[in-house]
Amino acid sequence: MKRAAWFLVMLLALGLVATAANPVKITFWTHEDPNRTPLEEEYIRRFQALYPHVTIERVTYPSARIAEVLLTAFAAGKGPDMFNLEVNDAYPYLVMGRVAPLRPEWVGYASVDSILGAYLGGTLDPVYRDGKLYGLPLELTIWSVFVNEKYLREVGLDPDTDYPHTWEQMMEVSEKLVIREGDIIKRRGFDFRYGYYVEWLLAMVEQLGGAFLSPDGQTAVIGDEAWLQVLRYMQQWGPLGKNLGSPTYTPARNLFNYDRNEVTMCLTGFYQIARIRTQNPAFYESGEWMVIPFPVFENAVNDVASHYYGHYYMVNAQSSLETQEWTWRFIAYMLSNPEEYLTRVGLIQPRKDLLASDVYAAQPYGDVFASDMARSSLVQLHVANPEFKQLLDEAVKAVMLQGVTPEAALATLRTKANEVLAEYK
Amino acid sequence: MFFGLFSIYPVLNALYLSFFQKHLLSTAAPRFIGFGNYQYLFQSPTFWNSLTVTGIFTGGTFAMLVGLSLVLALFISSRKRFQRFLQLAFFSPAVVSTVVAAAIWLLIFDPRGIANQLVNTLAGTPGVDRRWLVAPSMLQLATMLVYVWKYVGYFTIIFIAGISSIPRSLVEAARVDGASVWQTFWKVTFPLLKPTTLLVSVVAMIQCLRTFSTQYLFSQAGSPRGPIDVITLNVYHTAVRTFQIGRASALSIILFAIMLFLSWLQFRVARSEEVSYL
Repeated sequence: MKRAAWFLVMLLALGLVATAANPVKITFWTHEDPNRTPLEEEYIRRFQALYPHVTIERVTYPSARIAEVLLTAFAAGKGPDMFNLEVNDAYPYLVMGRVAPLRPEWVGYASVDSILGAYLGGTLDPVYRDGKLYGLPLELTIWSVFVNEKYLREVGLDPDTDYPHTWEQMMEVSEKLVIREGDIIKRRGFDFRYGYYVEWLLAMVEQLGGAFLSPDGQTAVIGDEAWLQVLRYMQQWGPLGKNLGSPTYTPARNLFNYDRNEVTMCLTGFYQIARIRTQNPAFYESGEWMVIPFPVFENAVNDVASHYYGHYYMVNAQSSLETQEWTWRFIAYMLSNPEEYLTRVGLIQPRKDLLASDVYAAQPYGDVFASDMARSSLVQLHVANPEFKQLLDEAVKAVMLQGVTPEAALATLRTKANEVLAEYK
Repeated sequence: MFFGLFSIYPVLNALYLSFFQKHLLSTAAPRFIGFGNYQYLFQSPTFWNSLTVTGIFTGGTFAMLVGLSLVLALFISSRKRFQRFLQLAFFSPAVVSTVVAAAIWLLIFDPRGIANQLVNTLAGTPGVDRRWLVAPSMLQLATMLVYVWKYVGYFTIIFIAGISSIPRSLVEAARVDGASVWQTFWKVTFPLLKPTTLLVSVVAMIQCLRTFSTQYLFSQAGSPRGPIDVITLNVYHTAVRTFQIGRASALSIILFAIMLFLSWLQFRVARSEEVSYL
């Protein structure tokens, strides 16, 4: 009831400010998501019907390419009016003044504080600066482990009790599950989500008491023992160790949905559920899959899950003020339907009312994600995070694929990361 | 005018930017730092690695491209039948986009792909992973193979055009005088092919130095970047991942200077060995 009232007030507010103003054209760039496209195109049609002077052009790019496409467009002064990016890639846009703040009245709120109060604590921190908000979340999730129960049973494990709780167990279970022909893996037990190291690798380091940045953000690579344990683990995981997985194999999450005996467990977000439903309804209905919490090390000193993975809608500061206003109104219009994003696309918008709703409670494994989110946090943001991601990638591949010792890989990581930090001081 | 706009201006602009420190996203004015970017690069191990990797790739690919395309051209030119078909068959990869070519070869080099199956069948070693996309030397070889596969047909066609422009009377006169096939090639055909060889060498070398898509796609597919971090890939990372457009411009200028020097060297060497039987 409260939500419906809020929605009506917002629509009324939007209606009141609608004028027979000049035509406004909004360019909207986003990443490909087959489940989200029909939903947002429907919102665009509805919004344009409500405000005929507004035209919205939605353009999609592959997830792997959108960051560079946006960067080159902004560098040339030709960025879109609105876009979304993963938070680590988006943060430099905020720091460099490339995105515009919202005015609370444009999005149906009385003040910035009331917006902050509507969302889960801390989830707007990445886009909050000097009392202003520069983005609203399209999605915020954490990565938990999806499991194909059938293959666990095949090797004599009970999915209810024998699923891996710790990283050490993950390695043991994966050794039982892996099927190889010589050196070549035919079925992986579990495999990591290579490339997205900020979310899961740093969480593993933090479980052991380490960190990437010191609290003041002035020093990189904190807690050598924690880093070395994680790098040794990755070394053991790779083809030069126990040969359980590798960054050069097809990403595990891309194979999981097809249930073709290629992968048993993968690390992915809540949205995977909607993708299983779309790509393999039979598997979705079979009840042969489940979600388990993000494991911890046996000697962990912090019980933390993977870091939040989030996308925020942002508005180009170079767009005219009128375009900025209508773009924010459009964003607010879309985001006023968090339940549809949840049920149709599998995206969690971290609004308190949504997370407390029956709709969220009814989602399969919503409880697992909710409890993992409770022990999760946002990664420490830095304008150089896109570069740090590359350095982490180099370190992991060095130990997994190139035979570099964890000690040497850590030394290189430390040197390069601190050099980058020095450039921003 | 057209050449100036699309070729000279970007080079001059890159040269100008290479003297500044500028964050790609920043709206602030670039800061003049003189030769600071060049100084940084010459002290950077990543730069020297890129230079080495580019040298290895260019050396290996260039030799394979020029040698193989000449052999194929001689083979095809000597055929009485299926000449057109063979030309088309070898040339067809050249029209495939580099991105598609790299994607196809990624499947071939996948641990479960044809490359491992073929080598293991021939070597009688079932189940061995040759680590095409992982081991540094195999990874370098893999990128070279993609490039050779893609461009060998293109250079073969150029050589075939060069061979067909050699007067048949010269070859026939040599054969009548008792020269063997081998002698005819080395004493008549090859010297007269010098201009074509020079053209192929310059174009192939520039092409190899400019390689990017194959290395980019391989690194995106999970391969370690170090062994295939050619200068162009380093330029991309410096600009797009670290946002340092001034430093990326300096790298581009260095690559441009290398290309210019090697092209000049090839022309210089070729001019000193010009041959004419007319």
